[in-house]
Amino acid sequence: MRIRTLLLAACVALAAAPAPGQSQGTGARDAINIRFERYTLPNGLNVILSVDRTIPQAAVDVWYHVGSKNEVPGRTGFAHMFEHVMFTGSGHVPYGMHDRLTEGVGGNNNGSTSNDRTNYFENVPSNYVESALWLESDRMGFLLDQLDQAKFVAQRDIVQNERRQGIDNQPYGRAFEILTAATLPDANPYSWPVVGYMADLQQATVEDVKQFFRLYYAPSNATLAIVGDIDPGKVKDWVTRYFGDLPRGAPITRPTIPPVTLSAEQRLVFEDQVQVPRLYLAWPAPGEDNDDTHALDFLAEILSGPRTARITKALVYDQQSAASVSAFNDTNEQLGAFVIIITPRPGHTLTELEASTDSIVARLKRDGPTADEMRRTGAGLEFDFVSALESNLGKAEILTSGLVFHGDAAYYHTQYAKLKAVTAADVQRVANRYLGAARAVLSIVPQGKPDQASKPESSRKVTVSPDGGHYIMEAK
Amino acid sequence: MRALALILVFTAHSALLRAQAQLDRNVPPTPGPRSTIHIPTWTRVRLANGAELVVTEKHDLPLVAFSINFVGGAYNFEPADKVGLAAITAQMLSEGTATRTADQLSEAQQMLGTQIAAGVSGEGGSIGFTSLADKFEPALALVADMLLNSMFPGAGLERIRGRTLVQLQLAKDQPNAIASNVFAKVVYGDQHPYGRVLTEASVNAIGRDDIVAFKLAYFQPGRAVITVTGDVTPAAARAAVEKAFAGWPAGGSRPAWDYPPAPALRPTTIYLVDKPNAAQSVFAIGLPGPARNTPDYYAIQVMNNLLGGLFQSRLNHNIREVKGYSYGVGSSFAFGRGPGPFRAGGGIVTAKTDSALIEFMKEFRGVEGEVPFTDDEIAQGKESLIQSLPRRFSSVNGIGGSVALLFTQDLPQTFYQDLPARINAVTRDDLVRVARKYVDLGHLDIVIVGDRSVVEGPLKATGIAPIVPLDRDGKPPTNP
Repeated sequence: MRIRTLLLAACVALAAAPAPGQSQGTGARDAINIRFERYTLPNGLNVILSVDRTIPQAAVDVWYHVGSKNEVPGRTGFAHMFEHVMFTGSGHVPYGMHDRLTEGVGGNNNGSTSNDRTNYFENVPSNYVESALWLESDRMGFLLDQLDQAKFVAQRDIVQNERRQGIDNQPYGRAFEILTAATLPDANPYSWPVVGYMADLQQATVEDVKQFFRLYYAPSNATLAIVGDIDPGKVKDWVTRYFGDLPRGAPITRPTIPPVTLSAEQRLVFEDQVQVPRLYLAWPAPGEDNDDTHALDFLAEILSGPRTARITKALVYDQQSAASVSAFNDTNEQLGAFVIIITPRPGHTLTELEASTDSIVARLKRDGPTADEMRRTGAGLEFDFVSALESNLGKAEILTSGLVFHGDAAYYHTQYAKLKAVTAADVQRVANRYLGAARAVLSIVPQGKPDQASKPESSRKVTVSPDGGHYIMEAK
Repeated sequence: MRALALILVFTAHSALLRAQAQLDRNVPPTPGPRSTIHIPTWTRVRLANGAELVVTEKHDLPLVAFSINFVGGAYNFEPADKVGLAAITAQMLSEGTATRTADQLSEAQQMLGTQIAAGVSGEGGSIGFTSLADKFEPALALVADMLLNSMFPGAGLERIRGRTLVQLQLAKDQPNAIASNVFAKVVYGDQHPYGRVLTEASVNAIGRDDIVAFKLAYFQPGRAVITVTGDVTPAAARAAVEKAFAGWPAGGSRPAWDYPPAPALRPTTIYLVDKPNAAQSVFAIGLPGPARNTPDYYAIQVMNNLLGGLFQSRLNHNIREVKGYSYGVGSSFAFGRGPGPFRAGGGIVTAKTDSALIEFMKEFRGVEGEVPFTDDEIAQGKESLIQSLPRRFSSVNGIGGSVALLFTQDLPQTFYQDLPARINAVTRDDLVRVARKYVDLGHLDIVIVGDRSVVEGPLKATGIAPIVPLDRDGKPPTNP
């Protein structure tokens, strides 16, 4: 089975490296251990250090607790655009120096933005760790000293290209934006896409960048993890030297997430440049702060993935009505979504596939999973947790996400224990609680073929607004 | 309170001055001495059935990566009219054995917390898994069962065929997939294996007999390199492999690499594939390149790094960072056993399709001498290849794959140890020479998948090359 935090780690993990001290034959469970130390600077910066000498490299990973949910409607995509601006140089670091001291010396760097947080990382040869700290501290403290209109506009163009590449120019690329917009009210900070709407991206200004930086990019809203081939004493000195004098930020008002009020099924059809129709079912689900997410992770794995998973087996293997199915539980800090995606084989309608899927989910809600299903689903946990420890950056992400989202860098132990403790009754309970009638059912169909939607007569048409600023859902 | 405030500020300031006395943020820290790059060591032994066994120990975590790597692939063993046979045969290994149904195979893997992956591509194939050390032997038994006792049920083939046909249809809407397919067909034509692509006809031509025959001919120990990497000793690995594969008889050998020559080069031409309303134009620009065994390998690696390999390469720096036409562009050399392509490209905002092509051509001319490489560029191009070496060896899979490469590609056992000196021996003249030789401006195939009604006029106006419209299968369109 796959676990959220580890998935997050996997998607950014470019480097790697394991922890010393475990000898051959050590049980897998005992191996799930990261030795680290953590402290806080007087200015509020959280620091995590972990030594791993597998390779002569280290990861430097900085999290800022800000993401797209801190944006406001009309300015969507800003947190991510800001992430791009962070690579354009800062007070004492000219543009290009960041890459020069990372990829130019055999390392690499990148950043990523989610609904909840933004991270920046470098994987570097050990002798460039101090350089990476200098680079990160300079943009944390002095980004605005170098900011100008031209640099900002270039990054705005690039982000618009990123949106084109990932969404506008991809078949089915708009599915998740439509599902989120359909299940959450416009005022919910999780209702807009992280990359933002095209029209909003065009609105962003240099002044927005300055405000955003002053609000969120202070040491008191950041966590710095350094994992790998390091001398902790030296690294602590460097951290003090480069970050110690950066001023603490003002207290941050975190967005409150209103309870999800979806009360009825939203049936939608979107015409796309595709030949094959595809069906999406989405339910609002809880966030990191709710232990039901663990049972929902099990539920996703019991429904799809391996050949014996329920929907996979029924639709792909037995009926052969689907070419592929996928179910996953996507968990953010304060809110999540449970999603099922089905691609039909020719001769099978989305209406038919929706009915088959619903009957499989209904049976699971009525009877719960079998003991065998529970055993199989939980059997891969040790492997998933152990193999996540092979990467410096992966470990930095595990420790940091635990600290930021759960107040405990060692939260992965708790997460492991909670996943181990999930019972069949838990899975049955969360299936009944979350996979109810209130959901979004989206059919993506070829242009001019709305009749290929699931239950076309009761599905509303979705279109993109002329300015690309939002989705218009036809009234019924 | 103005005075008091001033004193407080002064005190705080002077304390800070003391702490920061020596910090000048304008000066980048001086890096310490470089660490030595340690290349793992491995043991190798030839098993009785002819397979080579290569074991690399890594005991910090209880993990083992296992892979049987086969030298040769679809290009050697697949009939030209049955493209897809190799990949589908690999999928059929999960459809059940003499003693285990497909579901039982799947359930057994789940209970071991592992997934066995099998695949065959153009020039190689593999079957393997990564598991906890204590699950290594039972997982190995499953691999052996799949490889030696698969039953290849006809019903499984029909299901895989049906899914493959849907995937083909999905790819026809995916601009990057269209670009890759058309690029292969344009650059290599019908007569070279590198130009072969999956089609409905080729998928429909595959029968169960073909699967059984391919399996027998292909999955042979005489062309197999077995890598075991991680928390296991060479002796234990050998005992486990010999036990699991006791029933795998000797046979097979490494295939010959007797490719036909690549088609004769043609004058630079733009092949335009229409994708109405596309938000971006996907570029694939290139031509047949050198094989992996070219003596120019190291010079090409450095040159390509500077042209389109690094984030701050000339192509990405100019077209993404300065011009803002793209989210990312780059270039690569395929380095196969035959004339694998040089290919540059990326997704370009539709309105800048013509401008971007002008910049691609400008950067090609630049690396060929118009814009000389600086010392600092060359240093980065080399260091990024040398100092990134350790990251290959951080995980059991990374090590296993890196070691297997030496055996499957016939590279020297000291390839990684020798690499820094080989890279450092590359000169500025070498870089220009290989750029001129392999980025042949007069003979580029420029495939662009985009909105023809918008981009054709401006592309024509650049005067870079004549435009030939093609459909999504790389054929002349029915309404040119």
